[in-house]
Amino acid sequence: MELRCEGISHRYGDVAALDGIDLAVRAGECLALIGPSGCGKSTLLGIMGGILAPSAGRVRASGAAPAGCLNPVTYVFQDFALLPWRTVEANVALPLEHHGLDAADRKARIDAALARTGLGEFRAAFPKQLSGGMRQRVGIARALAVSPAILLMDEPLSALDAQTRDLLMEDFLALWLGARTTSVYVTHNLGEALRLADRICVLSRRPGRIKEIVAVERPQATRAAPEAAREMAELHERLWRLIKDEASAADREIADVR
Amino acid sequence: MKKSIPVARRALLAGAAAALALPAPALAQARARASVGVLRLSSSGPVFIAHERGYFREAGLDVELKFFTAAQQVPVAVTSNDADFGVTGLTAAFFNLAGRGALKIVAAQSREEPGYNLVAYMVTNAAHERGFRSLRDFAGKRVGITTTGSTFHYSLGLLARKQGFDLASVTLVPLQTLPNMQAAFRGGQVDAILAPVTLARALEADGSGRVLGWVGDETPWQLGALFTSPRAIERNRATVERFVRGYVRGAADFHAAFNARDRGRPVQGPAYRENLEIVARAVQQTPELVSVGLPYVDPEGRLDVGDIHNQIAFWQSLNLVGREVSGREIVDLSFVRGHTNVPRG
Amino acid sequence: MSDSPIRFRGGGFAPRPKRGAAVIAFAAALGLWAAAGRFGWVSPIFLPPPDAVAAAFWDLARGGLLWRHIGESLYRIVWGWGLGTFLGLAAGFAMGIWSYSRAIGVPFVSALFPIPKISLLPLLILWLGIGEASKVATIALGVFFPTAIATYAAIDAVPRNLIRMGQSFDLPPHAVLRKIVLPGALPGILAGFRITASIALILLVSAEMIGAEYGIGAFILQAGNLMLTDQLLAGVAMLSALGLAIGTGLTRLEKYLLRWR
Repeated sequence: MELRCEGISHRYGDVAALDGIDLAVRAGECLALIGPSGCGKSTLLGIMGGILAPSAGRVRASGAAPAGCLNPVTYVFQDFALLPWRTVEANVALPLEHHGLDAADRKARIDAALARTGLGEFRAAFPKQLSGGMRQRVGIARALAVSPAILLMDEPLSALDAQTRDLLMEDFLALWLGARTTSVYVTHNLGEALRLADRICVLSRRPGRIKEIVAVERPQATRAAPEAAREMAELHERLWRLIKDEASAADREIADVR
Repeated sequence: MKKSIPVARRALLAGAAAALALPAPALAQARARASVGVLRLSSSGPVFIAHERGYFREAGLDVELKFFTAAQQVPVAVTSNDADFGVTGLTAAFFNLAGRGALKIVAAQSREEPGYNLVAYMVTNAAHERGFRSLRDFAGKRVGITTTGSTFHYSLGLLARKQGFDLASVTLVPLQTLPNMQAAFRGGQVDAILAPVTLARALEADGSGRVLGWVGDETPWQLGALFTSPRAIERNRATVERFVRGYVRGAADFHAAFNARDRGRPVQGPAYRENLEIVARAVQQTPELVSVGLPYVDPEGRLDVGDIHNQIAFWQSLNLVGREVSGREIVDLSFVRGHTNVPRG
Repeated sequence: MSDSPIRFRGGGFAPRPKRGAAVIAFAAALGLWAAAGRFGWVSPIFLPPPDAVAAAFWDLARGGLLWRHIGESLYRIVWGWGLGTFLGLAAGFAMGIWSYSRAIGVPFVSALFPIPKISLLPLLILWLGIGEASKVATIALGVFFPTAIATYAAIDAVPRNLIRMGQSFDLPPHAVLRKIVLPGALPGILAGFRITASIALILLVSAEMIGAEYGIGAFILQAGNLMLTDQLLAGVAMLSALGLAIGTGLTRLEKYLLRWR
């Protein structure tokens, strides 16, 4: 499935957060959204996911959802958004409970999602008992369980420490390469964007506008290889130049935008 | 009991008085001090009159009035030495405190007497229509009282005995406060209540029910008393004597002014207006309102001693007062002459 | 700097459970109380000794009235607390979820909550009579407002992102309410129960001012009216034992329902 943003603008009271975003997310690609803090990238993701109403413009999805898809546009949250009173298994089961699935189908989905995220032995644990990395795996497993057509990920690794982030990134990349689900990945970390995305959309500072869309041609599988280092470094440098001044200006602003 | 003033201080007072050229009696008789716990009710009238007219001062006492808001607080205040004397109605609570050696009755306060309307037996209109027409119909009815052990409770007990019905057949509904009692009566939740005169008149005026009779007309009894602590009598008998002297003069004035009757109709006695205003000021009501509910007070402070014994026996029969409480122990007959109805033996 | 060990400056400010300390303190207080009577430090008129209180309690138990008092009071507490809690939860949920019910409800609750329920007794008697209804209503009224406030505050405290998460998976509103809002608000609601259970006990005495013949509150009132201080303290001890039992029960319930914490 693909997703198109048409003339999206958004205001929080007097503050313009987004201004005239036209953006198409192509079927099967991973698009990273980067930009200085407060540029409205999470807002844009919320609008794409239908949990925020834009002040102007609309979002359209088109194309066929994969077989067994229960929730075409599915979110992965920065702070995991796990229900602390549910076990890992019950958290993953949550989005399946109102679809009238039979018990076997439900169990199969849960088992598969837990297996793919390596959570098999933690299924009876409560979120409080898990590390941050494990918790985000639960968030990912929950998203996978509904067989999404489009994955919206809102800085999914930013609440984790650096080592956990690297580990989870590799696992997630492997998962993604296996399924190639259309994805939007919001991050402020250029390295993550470069590791994962097919294209990187750079937003300006507030009000967020699309500054440039940078394609990363090299396949994800070889980006970590030593011979790719120079190319990736150049891309990194290019992206950094795009957002450096904006980031520095944004840093001096009084943050009054969520 | 406040101690008499120390010698040094007395000398100082005398010197000061001399310097200010005070009248002779102040010098001759350095006054002791005492306090009395009272409620703002006209039944405490003798205390207010004695205080205002200087009868305590003339008996050699500087008396401070301490006002309380509920009958139970007064005996408690005397027990805890917050007041030297107390004047209130007699309740089961009073006898329980007195029975533990904390209180002694020394003179009479008000009492229920025929012709003095203090407390009414009232029935609701609905109960009246169902045939609750006379005092004999109490059996099997629901009767609102303030509290178990109150003067209202005892009145009903006397009535039961007089009319020959079993008190146990009456459902007593303790409602704790007069407003609660009023509400229950208005709402027809009880068939009857025992109400003080002001409440009875108000309920009659707004058509909520009718007065069947007055306690005093049916069953006279010793409603209230002047009391102090046994310790005070032991250590400071003179002060008690002085207080009683002043108090009885107040009672005599009260009786003369308010209790005169001519063929059952109230007659204004000597200094009626002045005394009424003294009482009205003390109870913080208009003289007109006060004049409606003035009780009978014995002019010499004499007690109906037999009734006090009777009250104790009544409470004991209901298990509300301990068996060990004895009327003989808690009344000191030596301060007033001529107490009536004193049990023999 | 000369060579010296670093002095330990941390520690404290971290209360740990001390088993038995409460029991010892309680026993010590009881001992002091008994001694105060025994050695005449305090007159028994002011503070009846523990054995007199125990005797009053024993009289009550032997007469068979104890269970009657406890039974009637429990009936009023259970109904009054249950009714007040049910309505308070409903109002609290409404105020926690819908803008209009909050805009209307919050000023109402704020205005009515601080009214001493005891001052409403005459009105309650007029409306509901002097039977069980007015007694139950007295307790229910006292329980309703704090429950409503605790509930809507607890709902406010449910992280919004959990609700958005549910919505992002297209959970129907009733499922969001039942699976996310309700369990998320449960800790706050249970904390409210602790308070309202105490309020119910406090109001029991007020409720039983309305012409109650039996009940712990009625017993305490009568003992106070008769100045039977030993019975008064026996009644108060019953009330506090009941409070302790309810508190322990709630702790168990919390431990079970909130075992995920």
